[in-house]
Amino acid sequence: MAREPLNGGYAILVENLVKKYGKVTAVAGVTFRVMYGEIFGFLGPNGAGKTTTIHVLATLLKPTSGRAVVAGHDVVREAAEVRRSIGVVFQDPSLDNELTAYENLYIHGRIYGMGGEELRTRIEEMLRFVELYEFRGRLVKHFSGGMRRRLEMARALLHRPKILFLDEPTLGLDPQTRAHIWEYIRKLRAVEGVTVFLTTHYMDEAEELCDRIAIIDHGKIIAEGTPDELKRLVGTDVIYLKTRVNGSRNPCNALKALGVSECRVVREGLVAVKVEDAGRSLPKLIRAAEEAGIAIEEVSYRKPTLNDVFLHLTGREIREEGEGMKDFIRSVVIRRFRR
Amino acid sequence: MVLAGSFGPFAVMAYRQLRRFVRTRARVLASIINPIIWIVFFGLGWANAFNFPMAKAIFGGVDYLTFLTPGVTAMAVFTASFIGGVTVLWDKQFGFLKEVLVAPASRASIILGRIVGDSIVALIQGLAILALSFTIAHSLRPWGVLPATVYAFILALGFTSAGVVLALKITSMEGFQMVITLLMMPLLFLSGAFYPIKFMPGWMKWLAYINPLTYAVDGMRHYLAGVSTFAPLTDLAVLSAVTAALMGAAAWLFRRATID
Repeated sequence: MAREPLNGGYAILVENLVKKYGKVTAVAGVTFRVMYGEIFGFLGPNGAGKTTTIHVLATLLKPTSGRAVVAGHDVVREAAEVRRSIGVVFQDPSLDNELTAYENLYIHGRIYGMGGEELRTRIEEMLRFVELYEFRGRLVKHFSGGMRRRLEMARALLHRPKILFLDEPTLGLDPQTRAHIWEYIRKLRAVEGVTVFLTTHYMDEAEELCDRIAIIDHGKIIAEGTPDELKRLVGTDVIYLKTRVNGSRNPCNALKALGVSECRVVREGLVAVKVEDAGRSLPKLIRAAEEAGIAIEEVSYRKPTLNDVFLHLTGREIREEGEGMKDFIRSVVIRRFRR
Repeated sequence: MVLAGSFGPFAVMAYRQLRRFVRTRARVLASIINPIIWIVFFGLGWANAFNFPMAKAIFGGVDYLTFLTPGVTAMAVFTASFIGGVTVLWDKQFGFLKEVLVAPASRASIILGRIVGDSIVALIQGLAILALSFTIAHSLRPWGVLPATVYAFILALGFTSAGVVLALKITSMEGFQMVITLLMMPLLFLSGAFYPIKFMPGWMKWLAYINPLTYAVDGMRHYLAGVSTFAPLTDLAVLSAVTAALMGAAAWLFRRATID
């Protein structure tokens, strides 16, 4: 699945990367590594420095300090080599609306030095991959948001990059279309063997797609690991037991005697128990509780989410309010200026 | 080797501009309607006013329509090319610029391809106006079309480049509107397209002399109407020098373009 690493290196290697705009620090010294074949995600709220990081890695911005090596090449000194090795899907649409899907890919291919039969076959292959082949002759301005994203992904992959950058790949798309895009991202890794670096502020997206995630806030990475590793930061699963109220007996005492380490009475008749793996411990716990004479009426459990992780680390929720509104305003603004 | 590698991006960017031109018919129509209005309403109106025995002397020996139409043709090319260059601003706004900037192709070949494409588009519009001019102004010289086309193309390359330079420097849509009004109209009136430079007040004459558009109008008028202020080779030299400088500036700025 993974491509052979270049001189045993990483797909992306970033050390102490800083990017300042005047006095504003967008990226405040991030360090991370992405292995070949991996889907690596930057998860964080808007304005955390995700897009700036992608722009630096894609050679569109010069870092203020620090080092970034992409596909074995320094993004500042060997920008041309980096550009040859990467494909980028930007957060904002970057397609040519007045041209057809096919023409968009054709122009991209020619700019990347492809041509002739090779280009034609590859365009067809990629259009089929994102299921837009039958729309190849249609002007992009008539495409839906999901179709545009897919076409942009096809375009970014056309020249067979080693590393694909996706900046908020499902921003502003409806849930169904998002699930569809996720499928393509998983598939393209499998089929094209490409390393994927993506940014998102959607928990579910990071969890759904990424092998490893770096949580970024205020330009700094505050946690990094697999989704499971990150969730373990906030602890384990929580089982809620609703018990029949019987006087003053505290069910926790009985449960603790059975070997439960953390138990808390939420309110009378509701107990929260922390366990490693709720699915596995549940049957044992119920059996033990009944044996101890605790009558259980209802059971539920909750696994920690990445949102809990972010909350735990920053004390804030990842999605600010009014987010949807911002997307809406942006789409209106873009429409207004479109020719 | 380098040249061969750069030709793909260069050619395909020119192709893109032509492709877009064909697609956006409404805009094309709008852009040639303006010069038509000038020729028909402005031109025919004044042509009758200047229809007295001594009038031809004002325009160097030709009737007003023959004097005006090469100027309006130059104006059509100038407007189309300048606006064409400025549309880099739209690419900036709508993201296509990023797609190009992240590509490994030589930046110079990309922007020069675009400039050539837009210039061909502008030239086509100019030739359409010229064809129409022949039906109204009967003293135009058909053999002058070919040399005039050369001048028009150099003019187009120059002002497309100027538009690109501006677009890369402008950061807002408002700025764009301001540039259009503050720059294009004076350049047109100071080019001798509508009236002879020799009757302008002294200070205005000097402004006309430093206006590169003047030399395109003059050169084209020399071949099409047989009237000119400067020697055609002077026109060609000045126009080519300015165009080369502007193309160089556009390529230089585009090479250094980032997205912030």
